Amino acid sequence: MSMLDPVAWSALAEQPVLEIGATVFVFLAATHLHRRSGGYPLLNPTLVSILIIAVGLKLAGISYDTYLRGAGFIHFLLGPAVVLLAVPLFRQTALIRASGPLLAAALAVGLPVGIVSAVGIAWVLGARTETLLSLAPKSVTTGIAIGISEKIGGVPALTAVLVIMTGIVGAVFGPVVTRMAGIRDPRAVGLAMGIASHGIGTARALQMSEVAGAFSSLGMGLNGVLTAVLVPLAFTFL
Amino acid sequence: MVLEEIARVLFWLGAGEILARLGVLPFPGPVIGLVLLYGNLLVRGHLPENLGALADRILQHLGMLFVPAGVGVIAYLDRLQTEIVPILAAVIGGTVVTIVVTALAAEHFSLRAAQRHPEPDRKVQDVNA
Repeated sequence: MSMLDPVAWSALAEQPVLEIGATVFVFLAATHLHRRSGGYPLLNPTLVSILIIAVGLKLAGISYDTYLRGAGFIHFLLGPAVVLLAVPLFRQTALIRASGPLLAAALAVGLPVGIVSAVGIAWVLGARTETLLSLAPKSVTTGIAIGISEKIGGVPALTAVLVIMTGIVGAVFGPVVTRMAGIRDPRAVGLAMGIASHGIGTARALQMSEVAGAFSSLGMGLNGVLTAVLVPLAFTFL
Repeated sequence: MVLEEIARVLFWLGAGEILARLGVLPFPGPVIGLVLLYGNLLVRGHLPENLGALADRILQHLGMLFVPAGVGVIAYLDRLQTEIVPILAAVIGGTVVTIVVTALAAEHFSLRAAQRHPEPDRKVQDVNA
């Protein structure tokens, strides 16, 4: 069989190995780039991978549906991964019990402010309803945010990108603006960065201090679960 | 066995998806699964070693799992272009406001709590140092 056998190539196109392989390879390369840059937030591996694959599909003339059919397995893993977020949360059960009132106070402020500030600003500036709905879960970790967006009538793909942009903004500006606001308690800084900018903000908080990182990851986890519960509930009553 | 833990995760994910699809709970299925697994762990009282290892492996590369969904944004490039100003203002402005307001509220709360119940050994670390 020749290397150029068209039947063999078309069989390959039927298999998801190309799409999965390309996604894994591109993400791996983007991860290396991110590490070599010293963790520069704008070089977030997920965002870089999305850009490279989007441009690649466009150049190769492959439709998104074709790509998603192939890369569907990776997309499927998002469900089990969200369930597995219970594990880091369970490991911090002692911390949750010890700091319950502080966590409740931060979430009572951060959760609504995160949603209302984003949706409010976009609404004032004339964004469409579908865009507003896609923005609502922007502070929540991507896997959960996509699910919320789907539930309330947003565009999950748009939400995915908005969530990552939010994380980058939190990681870049979080340390600066909390310092400017004169906040010294690392627990407060960590909680705020986790609640406002999920995993990407948490990665940055971890670089600031272990305490900030632990509280950031708690803020992210609890905000994710609570937002997924409260936002769809709010929509059923509105 | 890791396979047992994979089965456990798929079991709670499936339970979550069924509850979500039946309309019993209006939340995303995987989040219901997360809460169910957390409850399962609380009842057991400990984290099975293999489940911890599985979670660490998968969550380490969590960022890759968002790529297929994110690439879908190519269908919305027109919208991103026409609504770039509201979107950027909402993402940047909203996130900065949320961080500052939340951090101020949390610090205010913990300072007040400390005044009511002074803890002599409580150290406030200076993250800016």
